[in-house]
Amino acid sequence: MIRFEGAAKRHPDGTVAVRGLDLEVPAGRTTVLVGPSGCGKTTILRMVNRMVVPTGGRVLLDGTDVATLPAAQLRRGIGYVIQQAGLFPHRRVIDNVATVPRLLGWDRKRARARAAELLELVGLPPETARRYPAQLSGGQQQRVGVARALAADPPVLLMDEPFSAVDPLVRAGLQEELLRLQAELGKTVLFVTHDIEEAVRLGDRVVVLREHGEIAQLADPHTLLTAPADAGVAAFLGRDRGLRGLGLRPAAEVPLAKLEPAYDGWQLTLDPEGRPVHWVHGGRSHPVPVFDPARDTLRSALDAAVLAPSGHAVAVDADGRAVGAASRAAVVAALAESAAPSPQAGAGAQVNHA
Amino acid sequence: MLDGEPLVRWRWLGDHLGYLAGLTGDHAVIALVPVLIGLLLALPLGLACTRWPRLYQPLAAVFNVVYALPSLAVFVVLIPYTGLATRETVMVPLTFYALAVLLPTTVDGLRAVPEPVRQAATAMGYGPWHRLAAVELPSAVPYLIAGLRVAAVSSISLAAIGALIGRGGLGYLFVDGFQRTFPTPILAGIVLVALLALVCDLVLVAARRLLAPWAAGVAR
Repeated sequence: MIRFEGAAKRHPDGTVAVRGLDLEVPAGRTTVLVGPSGCGKTTILRMVNRMVVPTGGRVLLDGTDVATLPAAQLRRGIGYVIQQAGLFPHRRVIDNVATVPRLLGWDRKRARARAAELLELVGLPPETARRYPAQLSGGQQQRVGVARALAADPPVLLMDEPFSAVDPLVRAGLQEELLRLQAELGKTVLFVTHDIEEAVRLGDRVVVLREHGEIAQLADPHTLLTAPADAGVAAFLGRDRGLRGLGLRPAAEVPLAKLEPAYDGWQLTLDPEGRPVHWVHGGRSHPVPVFDPARDTLRSALDAAVLAPSGHAVAVDADGRAVGAASRAAVVAALAESAAPSPQAGAGAQVNHA
Repeated sequence: MLDGEPLVRWRWLGDHLGYLAGLTGDHAVIALVPVLIGLLLALPLGLACTRWPRLYQPLAAVFNVVYALPSLAVFVVLIPYTGLATRETVMVPLTFYALAVLLPTTVDGLRAVPEPVRQAATAMGYGPWHRLAAVELPSAVPYLIAGLRVAAVSSISLAAIGALIGRGGLGYLFVDGFQRTFPTPILAGIVLVALLALVCDLVLVAARRLLAPWAAGVAR
C-alpha cells in the first residue's frame, strides 16, 4: 500500500506543484490519477520512487517512509512505465526487459529466461526478442516497456501516461491487455492519465485532481460517472457520461427472451452451428448486431438493440451461438433498473478484483 | 615537367616497393596514433563536459582556436621542444586537431540519449555514473565513430604537410617529386594517401556495424 501524508512539492522558484496530498493507494488495485495537464499528477507519481523529493509531508510504502530507503534499492522494487517507453536503443528487446533483474544481480541466462516469459505475457511474439527497439512499432515498444517494468516482479507499478502516444486502436488493445494482466497479477498500480475515458476504463478507483494536486473527487468509476462531486468534475467528465457509465455495467443485467421465429417480418437466419448470419425481410438482408451477456457491457447491448433492424439485440455465447434476444424496450428497462454501483464489468475479459 | 618524362614510370615504382611500404607505415603511425590519443582524451573530457556542462563552451573554444592554427606554423613553433624531423613534432599538433573534432562529437553523442531513456534508466535504479557507462556511453558509439572517420581522414591528409619539416611519411614523395620535377612519386603519394584514408574509413564503418548494430541510420 502507498500512503501520501501531506505530501507537497514546492519548486525552488516558489511555484507550488502539489500543495499537500493525503491519499491512500490500496494494494493489489488500480488507482488512476486523472486531471488536466499541470495538475501535479506526474509529480505525485514520481514522489513514490523519489524521482521527485517532497518538500513537505511524506510518502509511505508499506509503512516505510520512502525517503529512508536507498534510492536505487527502492526503484528496483517499483516498476515504472512512461509515455515514450524509454527503451534503451542500444539493447535488444530481450536485454531491455532483463535490465532490472540484471541490476539485481541475476545471471544473464536466468534474466533472459525471465524476460522471455514476460514478452510472452505481454503478447509479443518470440521473434521480437532479438530485435532492437527502433525496429518495433509504438504499440510494441509500449508492451516491451510494460514487460520491462514487470521483469523483477515488483509489487508496485507506476504508469505515467503509458498509452498516450499510440493511436486509439492500439491504445484500446493495450488497455485491454493491462486489464487482463492486472486481473492475473494483482499489482498495486498507480496510473496517471489526462484521459477520463481511460481512467474509468482502467481504474478500480479514480482520483480526479484539480490544480496543485488537490483531490476534486475520489470514487469508483461508476459513482464518478453517475454522481460527480461538483460541476467542475461533471464538466471534466464530459457530456455523455451517462451513456459511458453503461460501459461499466455488465450486459448480464439485460433479461433475455427466447428467440422468436420472426419479429415484424424480420427473420433470423442461423448457420448449422446455430450462429446468427443475417436478418432477412423479403428481399432485404442485414448483418446481425450481437452481444455476449457474459463478457460485454450494457452499452454494447444497447448498441446492438439500436442497430438491429428487427429492434432485437441477439445474445450469443462465447462460441458465437445465439442463446436469446432482447428487445429495445427490455434493454432500456434494464438500464433504468439499477443506478446502484454494480460490480465492474469493463469491456472485454476483466474480472472482479475483490 | 620535363618533356619526354612519362607521368608514371612503372619501373621506378617496381624498384621502390619496400621504400613506399615503409613510408606508408610511417605515415599511418604519424597520422593515426594522434587520433587514438585524441579519442582517449576526448572520452574523459566529454564525460566531464556532460557532468559539468559549464566546462564545455570554454574547452570547445580553446580547441577551435587550436584547430584554426595553420599546421605548418605549429610544427615550426614545436621544433625547439620536440626536435626537427621527429615524429613528435608532427604528432602533437595532430593530436590537438583530432581532439578538436572528437570532443564535440563525444559530447553530442553523450547528450543524444533521449530524455525518456535517461529517466527510465534512473527509475530502474541506475546511479548517475553507472547510467553513464551503461546507457549514455554505448549510445554515443555511433557519434564517436562518425567523429573518428572525420578525424582520421583529416589527420592522414594533414600528416603529409610534416614533410616540409622533414617528417611527413608519404608527404616526402610530394616534396621529392616536386624538387626533382619527377611526377611518379607524386602520383604514388596521392594514390597511397587516398588508399590509406579509404582503408581507415572502411575499418571504422566495419567497427560501427560490430559495436553499434542497432544504430543503422542514427548518425553517419
